[in-house]
Amino acid sequence: MKYFFRFSVLTILMTYLLIFVGGLVRVSDAGMGCPDWPKCFDRWIPPTSLDQVPLEFQDQFNVVLAWIEYCNRLFGAVTGLMITITCYLAIRCYRKEIKIMVPVIGAFILTIIEGWLGGVLVDTVLNPFTITLHLLLALLIVVLLIYASLQSYYLYHKSAEVESDYPNSLKWFIYATGLIVLIEIIIGTEIRGGLEMIRNQNPLVNSIFLLRMLGPFKYMHTILGIFLVGLAYFIRKILIIESLNPSRLIIGSAQAMLGMIIVQIILGESLVFFDVKPLIQLFHMWFASLILGLCVIQYTAWEMSRLN
Amino acid sequence: MKKIHTVYIAGLFILILGIGATWVINKADQAHQTPPPIIKSVPDFQFKTHDGYTFTMENFRNKITVLDFMFTSCTGPCPIMASNMSRLYEQYRSIPDVQFVSVTVDPDTDTEDVLAAYADANGVNDDRWIFIRSDIKSVKELTRDGFMLFSDDLPAGHSVKFVLIDDKGRIRQYYDGTDKASIAILQAHLNLFLKNLDS
Repeated sequence: MKYFFRFSVLTILMTYLLIFVGGLVRVSDAGMGCPDWPKCFDRWIPPTSLDQVPLEFQDQFNVVLAWIEYCNRLFGAVTGLMITITCYLAIRCYRKEIKIMVPVIGAFILTIIEGWLGGVLVDTVLNPFTITLHLLLALLIVVLLIYASLQSYYLYHKSAEVESDYPNSLKWFIYATGLIVLIEIIIGTEIRGGLEMIRNQNPLVNSIFLLRMLGPFKYMHTILGIFLVGLAYFIRKILIIESLNPSRLIIGSAQAMLGMIIVQIILGESLVFFDVKPLIQLFHMWFASLILGLCVIQYTAWEMSRLN
Repeated sequence: MKKIHTVYIAGLFILILGIGATWVINKADQAHQTPPPIIKSVPDFQFKTHDGYTFTMENFRNKITVLDFMFTSCTGPCPIMASNMSRLYEQYRSIPDVQFVSVTVDPDTDTEDVLAAYADANGVNDDRWIFIRSDIKSVKELTRDGFMLFSDDLPAGHSVKFVLIDDKGRIRQYYDGTDKASIAILQAHLNLFLKNLDS
């Protein structure tokens, strides 16, 4: 049964890596590297030279972009397979544990939808709404997997949160943080989508000027970010001052969260004041997804302490 | 001690991801910055525009051109092509260095007046989108010899390609005028040429 926990942790790491690779495809503008789906230029392994490309696709062929997108699809396929195995292990080991079964089956169903959505993305030539939905589904999958994985951990480490006692207010701080992080991710994708739209209409203008052309909602992103620092600070304070025997997991996740949100503000501001560098953009999105994961860890730990 | 180890491992992992991502982004950037190759120069020709001016190979100079072959009474792929061309015309409205040229393959029907009305119906209100015509023999010659496209069964059998022509009148790439993905690539190439034109 320990296999489930170990394998689910591996699946979570792989899913996060896939979110990173997906973001990499986005920032390197390789989303249409393969113009068809699920095949790439009508082949299961992408072509390496123009003479292997069917005539109708020749204008769209770029070997580098095709292989970047193909790697994303390969990663997606492997991760999908791992989530399927996680689901199979859960059915074998924890058929009666609702808190494991429901999220794992949910993650499995969402994975199928996510794969299908990947095809829709190609069909709609990277429709901005579909891109956001694609990211949100990936986040939901990883959130469900983390929750299920921790539940299985607590089944075998019942004493993990036995001596811990957290105030009720902690729950609301965690809820608020999770919700605001999600809103921030959505606003972030909107900023990126808006930036791309303006860039299409003004191909000769630098990104730094394009950012200025975006509406005032970009300030909202910064303001909420600063608000998140406050929330993360209070969570840490509640855990250290007002809680009894907080577990190492919850303290560690609170500290990591505070540190990462501060790093996020620095990354976000450097995007505004210097230039929209793809690498910074990529890590900015990825760290946000990690922070969401930390929220789930904290919530699950808090929930366990209540049960005890 | 264990905590410090975790931080180090996480930092190392992020560093490796960062190095890998930088490599991929640079490779992709190089790929995006590579312009399509020169296919051939457009031969000299003389057509008339929908507003009565002469249009020759010289009109391609110092501009980036997107050219297609169409006819106004076409009910097949032409409406999709016209709609895609119209969208591009709108998107590049602030950039006079980009022009759109539509060559009619049915000059008997598409007189200057018919072309002018068609231009009007497609929202053309400046000289960035030009409709040109000549006699059918010249059209066939330009299609076949100038642009290496089908010309046997005109007007119905005309090509649906959008042709990208650089500022020196050279054909750089063909795109499917009915396919959004292909047009997205056309836009990327167009922007690349514009940046080079600008610098």
